[in-house]
Amino acid sequence: MTSPANPPLRAESLSSASDSQLVRIRDLIYQVAGIFQPDNKLRLLQDRCSKRMKTLGVSTLHEYHECLTTKPIRQAELTSLLNEITIGETCFFRNQPQLDAIRNVVLPKILAARSKLPLRHLRIWSAGCSTGEEPYTLSILMLEESAGRLKDWTFEILATDLNQKSLAHATQGLYGTYSTRNLTAYFRQKYFTARGEDLHVASEVRARVSFNRVNLSDDSRMTFIKGIDLIMCCNVLIYFDAASKRRVIQHFYNNLLAHGYLLLGHSESLYGISDDFRLVHLPSATAYVKAEERQIAP
Amino acid sequence: MTMVHKDELLNRLQSLDKMPTLPVVLVPLLRYLEQPIENLEVQGVVDLISKDKSLAAQCLQLANSPLFGRPQSVDSIYSAVLALGMQRMCDIAVSCSVLKLAPQGKAPMDPVVFWEHSLGCALLSRRFAAKIGFADPAKAYLAALLHDIGIIATLAVVPQEFARAYEVARTRHIPLHEAEMTEFGLTHGESGRVVAEKWRLAPELAAVVAHHHAPQEAPADRALVALISLADLLCRMTALGHGFTEQRQVSLTQEPAFRVLLQECPKLRDFDWALLTFELEGYLDEVHRLVTAFYRPL
Repeated sequence: MTSPANPPLRAESLSSASDSQLVRIRDLIYQVAGIFQPDNKLRLLQDRCSKRMKTLGVSTLHEYHECLTTKPIRQAELTSLLNEITIGETCFFRNQPQLDAIRNVVLPKILAARSKLPLRHLRIWSAGCSTGEEPYTLSILMLEESAGRLKDWTFEILATDLNQKSLAHATQGLYGTYSTRNLTAYFRQKYFTARGEDLHVASEVRARVSFNRVNLSDDSRMTFIKGIDLIMCCNVLIYFDAASKRRVIQHFYNNLLAHGYLLLGHSESLYGISDDFRLVHLPSATAYVKAEERQIAP
Repeated sequence: MTMVHKDELLNRLQSLDKMPTLPVVLVPLLRYLEQPIENLEVQGVVDLISKDKSLAAQCLQLANSPLFGRPQSVDSIYSAVLALGMQRMCDIAVSCSVLKLAPQGKAPMDPVVFWEHSLGCALLSRRFAAKIGFADPAKAYLAALLHDIGIIATLAVVPQEFARAYEVARTRHIPLHEAEMTEFGLTHGESGRVVAEKWRLAPELAAVVAHHHAPQEAPADRALVALISLADLLCRMTALGHGFTEQRQVSLTQEPAFRVLLQECPKLRDFDWALLTFELEGYLDEVHRLVTAFYRPL
């Protein structure tokens, strides 16, 4: 984390007392949850905090910081704030640079590694799939490649979540305008049919996705998920404490094949959580791969 | 098209008949800055900057950006120096005068793109240097700002060949220096070395200009060269490159530059690369706004 002796670039621009409190809250969130609110999102963070402060009847950011650190409600309050931060993020094609990186860089690398194996079948896991937009997006992405890189390949998308209600929604495959706001006309026409105001996911997209209720903290269940090429786990681990997070990450490590990839949500990090995974940079995105060795000594 | 031979290119660079000259104010400014910061006088810096009215106006633009400080709004060079401090104001003055070296004429590379990369890399390098305990973050800023001047030199002497290399890099999504090597056998590092000598840049700046794509080959100042090399690479992978995406996967800890820098900065052994990446993403918009504003008539 940033030490006071080494102020971050953005902190130089934040001179008022409330701004420095906001930076403290931002740094706390990163330290505890592993999700970072960059400079250009600080005003948004302030809005989220204000909303929570109103609910709690707290008038200053300093007091609110106390609610997140020392008061008995801190764990519950952190969860509420994280909910505010990630609210409304679920939609089709949520993170386009990440999807482009999967298609243009990750997929070719997985296929190259896979070519040594006899089975031409990919297994992708959307862990914490919520109402299904993410696994369906991945299914569409792979279908788009089915005449190209994935010619003669099959694939499946495992989609899991803890929330039964979200899974029921996902299985139905019916989405409103908010969820589908990022869909281009091309994808809308090719993979969806209109049902009144809503859009219904095409059967060829749904056929590749299987939804299951899985608790990521359930060790016995997690142990049996094997042979995964790519795991997407966005805005899920931020709600776990450090020990649970480490356990889930260890499972992910075992769930993945040797060439496997773990992708997290935007501005989410595994720093301080796992030495088994190595951070790699993709075009405008980051991912984690299984490290063959610890970081190099000189 | 006739392939220009590397030696001929170097000869053309040496003859310098079309080479851009350093902005008038930059030479005394760089000389002045070679003194220890505590020896600099406020009035001396103010006088140097104020000699050029358009430079002074542009300096105020940067001084009022959150990326450079802005504790309060400043409306004169004198008050900017007092508010931001000598070092930051010198960074701004050098940045503005260097920005005047924009690629000339109908260049294949948009000057806004070129300077976004250089300014972004400078800001990132200073931040990175401070985080890992590198001895001279201000030097890292200056070196990063200038690291790609070889591109300006190449553009001046062989614009057609450069245009071809740039197009190859852009369409194949490969690093620019690789395309330069295959297209005309000379990277912007090599052409930069020639221009750095001509401009009599300080040896450590010349080393960065010449070797930032192969820091392990630098004869001296290898840690500074490695630092800029890593920052440059991170910028290119984070939407702050040369105007196109490099479609590849990069592991910063596996780069030769990492090994070099680790020898001088042991903090790098346990470094949060993800956080540095998120911070960089947080100021992309502001870098774009600043550089675009710079190229608009005042």
